[in-house]
Amino acid sequence: MPANDRPTAPTGAFLITRSFDAPRRLVWQAWSEAGGLQAWWGPKGCTVAVKTLEFRPGGFFHYAMRFPDGALMWGRFLYREIAPPERIVWLNSFSNEGCGITRAPFDSAIPLEIVNEATFAEAAGKTTVTLRARPHGAAANEVEVFEGMFASLNQGYGGTFDRLAAALAEA
Amino acid sequence: MTPDQIDAAFAALAHPARRAMLARLAAGEATVNELAAPFSMTQPAISKHLKVLERAGLISRGRAAQTRPCRLETAALKRVSQWVAAYRHLWEDSFDRLDAHLKAAQATKAKGKPHARE
Repeated sequence: MPANDRPTAPTGAFLITRSFDAPRRLVWQAWSEAGGLQAWWGPKGCTVAVKTLEFRPGGFFHYAMRFPDGALMWGRFLYREIAPPERIVWLNSFSNEGCGITRAPFDSAIPLEIVNEATFAEAAGKTTVTLRARPHGAAANEVEVFEGMFASLNQGYGGTFDRLAAALAEA
Repeated sequence: MTPDQIDAAFAALAHPARRAMLARLAAGEATVNELAAPFSMTQPAISKHLKVLERAGLISRGRAAQTRPCRLETAALKRVSQWVAAYRHLWEDSFDRLDAHLKAAQATKAKGKPHARE
């Protein structure tokens, strides 16, 4: 049985949880140091090289992503809040080599900026990371989207939004 | 789909009434009156929501019939959904690597390698 030490967020925001067999101190280190971030962050198959890491509110994590086909893309985190060792809030987007924000180079139909919140909870030597994310940026009410989207659509259909869209697409 | 349209689609989906309208349209075409039925909303308010959905490419409206029935356009909804799925994959893959990284870090530590500069 899962230990519910806090209520599940009622918002239905984009949510991923993973439990790691490691103490929180070590998980935090992997999120706050260049060597750690380089080892795990990024799209499948790409090699991440850290150009800048300023792990403080207002600081940037600026990185290059080299893909197997040779393509090179840049990305950045803009840290908003850092509360060691419990919580990080940051904006993630694609960028150029100079750390300026850009649209995704391969597909414009991607939100310009995603606001992410990661929380870290330790119990019995294991650390649970909970990630919530929503589009952020250009349209002010983009932020509300995910909160309602998943909650309402899931209620209405008894399934995930992905499945709904898939079903709609086939119709 | 242009950047403006994806932003418009996200914004359009932000309102519960508009999501309910899309859900109704998933069952088939509907007139404005049919869409308005479950809501205690004025006709102009309903029309406003429909315009938002139409501009975002989420619905289209018939030109021929006087009732101008509304129809769900699945492409925009699919793009939004595809992005959501892609973002989930990104994190699942990253968490897999984080798991491996943490295991390796602990194995190194267990072998007694010093962490001099921690």
